[in-house]
Amino acid sequence: MTRLVTRREFLNLLGTTGGTAAALKAGTALGLLPATGTAKALDLLALGSNNKKVAVLGGGLSGLTVAHELGKRGYDVTILEASHRCGGRIMTVRHGDLIDEIGNRQYCEFDDEPHMYFNAGAARIPSLHSNLLAYCKELEIELEVFVGENNNAYLQDDAMLGGKPVRANDYKTNIRGFLSEMLAKSMSEQQMDEPFTESEAESLLSIIRSFGDLSEGDLYQGSFRTGYKSGGFLTHGVQHDMIAFRDLLAGQMGRRALSAYEGDYGPCLLQPTGGMDNIIAGFLRKVGERVKYRAMVAAIQVRDDGVEIAYDQDDVRHKLDVDYCFNCIPTHLTVGLDHNFSGDYVKALKYVKRGQAYKAAFQAKERFWEKEAIYGGISRMNNRSSEIWYPPHGIHKDKGVILAAYDFGGGMYHTMMSQEERVEAHLSDGEKIHPDYRNLVEKPITIAWHRMNHMLGCAARWRTSFRGWTAEEEELYHTLQAPVNGRHYVIGDQMTMHSAWMESAILSAHWAMEDLDQRVRAELA
Amino acid sequence: MIRKRLLVILVLALSVHSIQVNAAEEREPYDDRYCTTCHGTDGRGNYGVQAPRLAGMEAWYLKRQLENFRSGVRGTHPRDIEGIAMRPMASKLSDESIADIIDWVGSWEYIPTEVTIEGDETAGAQLYAQCASCHGQNAEGNEALGAPALQGQNDWYLVTQLKNFKNGWRGAESGDAFGAQMIGMAQMLSDDDAINNVVSYINTLGRK
Ligand SMILES: Cc1cc2nc3c(=O)[nH]c(=O)nc-3n(C[C@H](O)[C@H](O)[C@H](O)COP(=O)(O)OP(=O)(O)OC[C@H]3O[C@@H](n4cnc5c(N)ncnc54)[C@H](O)[C@@H]3O)c2cc1C
Ligand code: HEC
Ligand code: HEC
Repeated sequence: MTRLVTRREFLNLLGTTGGTAAALKAGTALGLLPATGTAKALDLLALGSNNKKVAVLGGGLSGLTVAHELGKRGYDVTILEASHRCGGRIMTVRHGDLIDEIGNRQYCEFDDEPHMYFNAGAARIPSLHSNLLAYCKELEIELEVFVGENNNAYLQDDAMLGGKPVRANDYKTNIRGFLSEMLAKSMSEQQMDEPFTESEAESLLSIIRSFGDLSEGDLYQGSFRTGYKSGGFLTHGVQHDMIAFRDLLAGQMGRRALSAYEGDYGPCLLQPTGGMDNIIAGFLRKVGERVKYRAMVAAIQVRDDGVEIAYDQDDVRHKLDVDYCFNCIPTHLTVGLDHNFSGDYVKALKYVKRGQAYKAAFQAKERFWEKEAIYGGISRMNNRSSEIWYPPHGIHKDKGVILAAYDFGGGMYHTMMSQEERVEAHLSDGEKIHPDYRNLVEKPITIAWHRMNHMLGCAARWRTSFRGWTAEEEELYHTLQAPVNGRHYVIGDQMTMHSAWMESAILSAHWAMEDLDQRVRAELA
Repeated sequence: MIRKRLLVILVLALSVHSIQVNAAEEREPYDDRYCTTCHGTDGRGNYGVQAPRLAGMEAWYLKRQLENFRSGVRGTHPRDIEGIAMRPMASKLSDESIADIIDWVGSWEYIPTEVTIEGDETAGAQLYAQCASCHGQNAEGNEALGAPALQGQNDWYLVTQLKNFKNGWRGAESGDAFGAQMIGMAQMLSDDDAINNVVSYINTLGRK
C-alpha cells in the first residue's frame, strides 16, 4: 500500500526544505575545508647564548615538530617517549614489527619487502595540508599519489542487487543519470528557472545534462561512462545495461559512495613512498638523538620558574628539570599522572573523550584486484569491516598488503573480539566482494586503537553534539590551550578543533611555540 | 587533593619481570607491566580511563580480582563497560606474571584519592553500619571475610561497582561467591542518592 511520490511532488518537497535562491547566495560561504593552502613561516627567536631547557612529553608528530623547531633555535630539548617507537598514531607496520595492543600483542609476519607495509594509523595526506607538506619537503620525504577514489572499486550492500557487488562507476553513473533526468525535467517545466536569467538557466541545463549524461529528450538511458559490456576497441562498444534506480535505492551506499571523497578526503591525496612513518623518520634524522625511548612520563609538577618532570625508564625513576614543557600525551592518560594542575585544567583534561578507530590488514598472496582492473582505491561495504583498500604502490609486483577493515567511529565492535574472531569477520565480509578472498589472503594484523599501549584511543572528541561545540566546550578548550604558568603546553591534534589530522598536530605545535616565543622575547628584551 | 611529594630516584626490584622475546629473530620485546598506562602513575587510579587505584591494594584481593578477570568470572556482563575494558588486560596473564605484578604493585606508595562525589555523609554513615561488619569500621577491609578495603579508593569507582552489583552486572557469574554476597548487600542501597551517600561517608574514613 505504499503510495508512490511523483517526481514533481519530490521536487516540491525539496523546494520546501531548501530553496534555490538561498543556495545561490550561499555559494562561496559553503566552506568544507578549513582555511589552509599555504604553509606559514614560523618566526621564532633564536636563543643565541641563552640556555633554555625544554621537555617534550610524547614523541607524537606535534612533539617532534616542537623538538625540531626549537632545536633549530638553540633550545636544549629532550623528548620522552613511553613506547618503543615514536610516531604515536603515525604507525607503519612491516615485517617483524611489534603491534603493542595491550592484551593482544602481535608481531607482523608480512614478507620483508619495501612495498609490503601497512599504515595502521594516518594513511592519507590532503593536498591542502600545506604545513605538513612543507615539512615533507624540508625533510626530503619522498611522496607519491595516494589513490582513494577509484571508479573500478566496488560497492557492496546485502540489501542492494541481491548483495552482488557493483562497480563504483556503475553506481555513480546511474545515480547521476537519474538525478539529472529529474532535474532537467523540472527545469523545462519552468519549475526551477524562476531565480535564473535565461542564459543562466540554459547553462544550468547543460550542466545537468552532462552531469547525468542525458540523451535526447532529457532522458537517462544508460551511459558509456560505465565502460563497455563488450567490444570497444576493435569492434564497436556495447553499452552496459542500466541499473534500475529503485534497485540502487534499496541499499545504503549512496551517502558513502557520493560523499566519501569530499573535503579533506578529496583528490589529490598523497602518501610518503614506503610508509607514513617516513615522516617520523624524517624528523628523527634531525632530533633522533634527543629521544629517550621506553621513558614513560610519571609526574609533571609545574613551578613558577620551570617544570619538574619524572619519568620511568629501565625500572628507574628519573628526574628532569626544564624551563618549558610541551605535552602531547593523550589527555585521558595525562589525567592519571602525578601532577599539580588546577581543578579547572583537570576538568578540561577529563572532559575529552576518544574516538575508537580500528583497522585490519592482510597480506595478499597475489594482487588479485589488479586482475579486476583495480589499481589502488577503496571498495566499500555495508557491513562492519566497511572498507577494503587496494595499495596504490607496488603495482604488478607479486604480492601486496590490503586494508581489510576500517572503522573510524565505532571500532569497539571488532575491538571486543578475539584476534581469531576479528580475522574471521573480515574474511566473511570481504568474500562478499571477492569470492575467493579467504584463499587469497594470509598473515592478518589488527590494530584496535582503543587498546594500543600509551594511546588508548584515536581522535580527541571535544564535541558531544553533532550540531557543534557548546559554549562550555569552547571554554574548556581554551582553558586547556592556555599554558600553565606559561610553562606547560598541551599540544597534539587533541588541542585543535579539527582533530584526527597530522596537519592539526603540527598547527597545535606552531600555536604553542608562537605563544612561548612571545614570552621568551619579553623575558630576554 | 593530590599530595605533592618529593620525586626520588626509585629503583624498583628488577626481579622476575619477564620480558618475552621470540628467539628466532631479534624482535621488539614486551612485558606484562602495562598496568600504569590505564591505572595511572604508581597505580594511583585514572578517572580518564575509569581505572581505579591499585596502590595499597591488599595482595590477596588483587590476586583474586586478576584471577576473576582472567577466568571471565568478572568483566563479562555486556553492561559492565569498565569491567569489559579490564578483562582482556588479564586474560593472557600467567600465574608467574600475576605474582610479579603483585610484587610490583606492592612497591607503590598509597596515596588517598581525590574526592569527586558529593552526598549526605550522615545518611551515608547510617547506611554504612551494615557494611562495616564485613568491610570494617574504617573500611579497612577484612581478609578473613574476603571483603577488601574501601578507604581511599576512587569514589567514582566505588559508585560504579555498587551500581554494577545492584544490577547484577558484577557478581552474578557462577564461581563468584564473594561477588554474589555483594549483590545482596547492594540491594540495601535503594537508589543513586543512597549510593552517593554511602560513598561520601566512605570518603571520610581512614584518609591519611
Ligand atoms: C586510524 C587512524 C587514521 C588516521 N588517518 C589519518 C590520515 O589519513 N591523515 C592524517 O593526516 N591524519 C590521520 N590520523 C590522525 C593522525 O595520526 C594524528 O592526528 C597525529 O598523528 C597525532 O599526533 P600527536 O602529535 O597528537 O601525537 P600522538 O600520535 O597522539 O602521540 C602521542 C605520543 O605520546 C606517547 N605517550 C603516551 N603516554 C606517554 C607517557 N606517559 N610518557 C611519554 N610518552 C607518552 C605515545 O606513545 C605517543 O607516541 C589518523 C589516526 C588514526 C588513529
Ligand atoms: C585498558 C586499560 C587497563 C589496563 C591496561 C589495565 N587495567 Fe585494570 N582496570 C581497568 C578498568 C577500566 C577497571 C575498572 C573495572 C570496573 O570498573 O569494574 C580496572 C580494574 C582493575 C582491578 C579491579 C580493582 C578492584 O578494586 O576490584 C584490578 C585489580 C586491576 N584492574 C588490575 C590491573 C592490572 C594488575 C593491570 C596490569 C596487568 C591492569 N589492571 C591493566 C583498566 C585497565
Ligand atoms: C557479607 C559481607 C559484606 C557486606 C555486609 C558488604 N560487603 Fe562489600 N564486599 C564484600 C566482598 C566479599 C567483596 C569482594 C567481592 C569480590 O571479591 O569480587 C565486596 C566488595 C565490595 C566493593 C567492591 C570493591 C572493589 O574494590 O571493587 C564495594 C564498593 C563494596 N563491597 C561496598 C559495600 C558497601 C557499600 C556495603 C554496605 C552497603 C557492603 N559492601 C557490604 C563483602 C561484603
